[in-house]
Amino acid sequence: MTEPLLTINKLDAAYGPVQVLFGVDMEVYRGEIVAIIGPNGAGKSTVIKAVVGLLKSRSGQIVFDGRDIIRLPAHAVPRLGIGYVPQGRIVFSHMTVTDNLEMGAFLIKDREQRRRSVDAVFAQFPRLHERRQQAAGSLSGGEQQMLAIGRAMMLDPQLIILDEPSLGLSPKYVEQIFEQLEELKAQGRTLLMVEQNAARALTLSDRGYVLELGRNRFHDTGRALLADKAVRELYLGGR
Amino acid sequence: MSLKSIAPGIVLALLAVAAPAMASDYQLLFLLQLLMMIALAQSWNLISGMTGYVSLGHTAFFGVGAYAGALLLQWGFPWWLAIFKGAGIALLVAAPLGVLTLRLRGPYFAIAMLGLNEIGRLVATLWVDLTQGGDGIPLSPARLPTLLQNYYTMLTLAVLATSLIAWVRYNRLGLELRAIREDEEAAEMVGVNTTRNKVIAFALSAVIPGAAGAVYAFYTSYIDPVSVFAPALNIQMIVMVLLGGSGTVWGPVIGAVLVRTLHELTWAQFPALHLALLGVLIVAIVLFLPKGILSLAPWRRRVRPDRAPGSP
Repeated sequence: MTEPLLTINKLDAAYGPVQVLFGVDMEVYRGEIVAIIGPNGAGKSTVIKAVVGLLKSRSGQIVFDGRDIIRLPAHAVPRLGIGYVPQGRIVFSHMTVTDNLEMGAFLIKDREQRRRSVDAVFAQFPRLHERRQQAAGSLSGGEQQMLAIGRAMMLDPQLIILDEPSLGLSPKYVEQIFEQLEELKAQGRTLLMVEQNAARALTLSDRGYVLELGRNRFHDTGRALLADKAVRELYLGGR
Repeated sequence: MSLKSIAPGIVLALLAVAAPAMASDYQLLFLLQLLMMIALAQSWNLISGMTGYVSLGHTAFFGVGAYAGALLLQWGFPWWLAIFKGAGIALLVAAPLGVLTLRLRGPYFAIAMLGLNEIGRLVATLWVDLTQGGDGIPLSPARLPTLLQNYYTMLTLAVLATSLIAWVRYNRLGLELRAIREDEEAAEMVGVNTTRNKVIAFALSAVIPGAAGAVYAFYTSYIDPVSVFAPALNIQMIVMVLLGGSGTVWGPVIGAVLVRTLHELTWAQFPALHLALLGVLIVAIVLFLPKGILSLAPWRRRVRPDRAPGSP
């Protein structure tokens, strides 16, 4: 088998004195969709924050594309080819939709190339194109989430990391966001996501990791986890 | 930046260059003070207007520059060199301090800066051997530059400060600072090195107040701790920037002209009331014009579809 694009190896992480992750292992291969699920407080989002550099206190190995990135600060991560869609739809609310997307490609100095990226995102999200001159803060929650995803795609990243993409959205928009993720999957992109809507996430995903209290608990294909009796009872609220 | 957009600035600067030929000494002093406030307001604008990190203690750099300028002049340095060194010392104080304090967000940074100004005032008061403490330092007229020299120095500082704002605003740094003001975490996520940019903006914002402090010491020919480490001066900078338009190139200039003119027209008749007027003005801005006077201009739109980030 080929090398994984992202390997997380014995990751420990802490918020101040409180240790949250204990030796978490994870792998993401190219073209794969991987979901991290688990109960509240399992450390799902913490794994993601550690990968994108937003959590300083971490140890272990995070190897991306053959390079250990665990010491990198957050602002150095986009350059590597990791797009990050944070929890809570963080957009530049006083900037227009177009400016928000341009900010996503802010590392690219060539103006033409940036414009092409913006057009590519608009092609994928026609709704954003309709709203391109609007201040991002005036968009609906679902549209802001699309914008955050679009912004993360501006540098054409090798890996897109999403933290709770459907959190707090109305059912209609949850549906739309999952359709967008399907679309990304069809394009062969590599996704790592944390999602509280575990059943939906696993249905979409090639593989899933179940975390509990900061440790690996289960790990299998999305389909197998969906079918697993223990996982269903514990995490999917299932029968 | 087009010629059209800097034309008003060139006209204003030329008027200011020509002013001494027409003005009385009193009027020249008024203009000198106005230019000083423009230079200070623009410096505050650079860190607080552009990044949203509100400094309540920018007078610390003004005070450091004033004492450095006064002491160096006494020790025999020529006045222009004393000004350069005043600016340099302010920079030396600001750079490491920025690294420390800009990790503090929101009100914590504001309070830390207020504290810095107090530290400056206390050092100037208590280090009697160096600063003559609360007695202050009178400067001997023989060594001082003339009013005209002070005027042109201050004009240079005001032009430099305004040009600096214009340059930053229409450059990559300005875009990065704007992203920081909007949302620091999101800025970080798209690859903006937030810490580095904040420290650069902060250090740059300290240089001109340092130089202006030295010139202040020369034209008043006397400084003491209370008059240069003066929170009221800091409040004036804030009012001018907010009144004109925070983060803009011309807002602080407009704000400074309005506040200084208002002050000039009222202080003689209403010595106590003019401070109250300043207070009323602050409340009125916050309530009715949170984005400043420039936001009323019809040609200004909040969105700029014609301009891509990073382009000149």
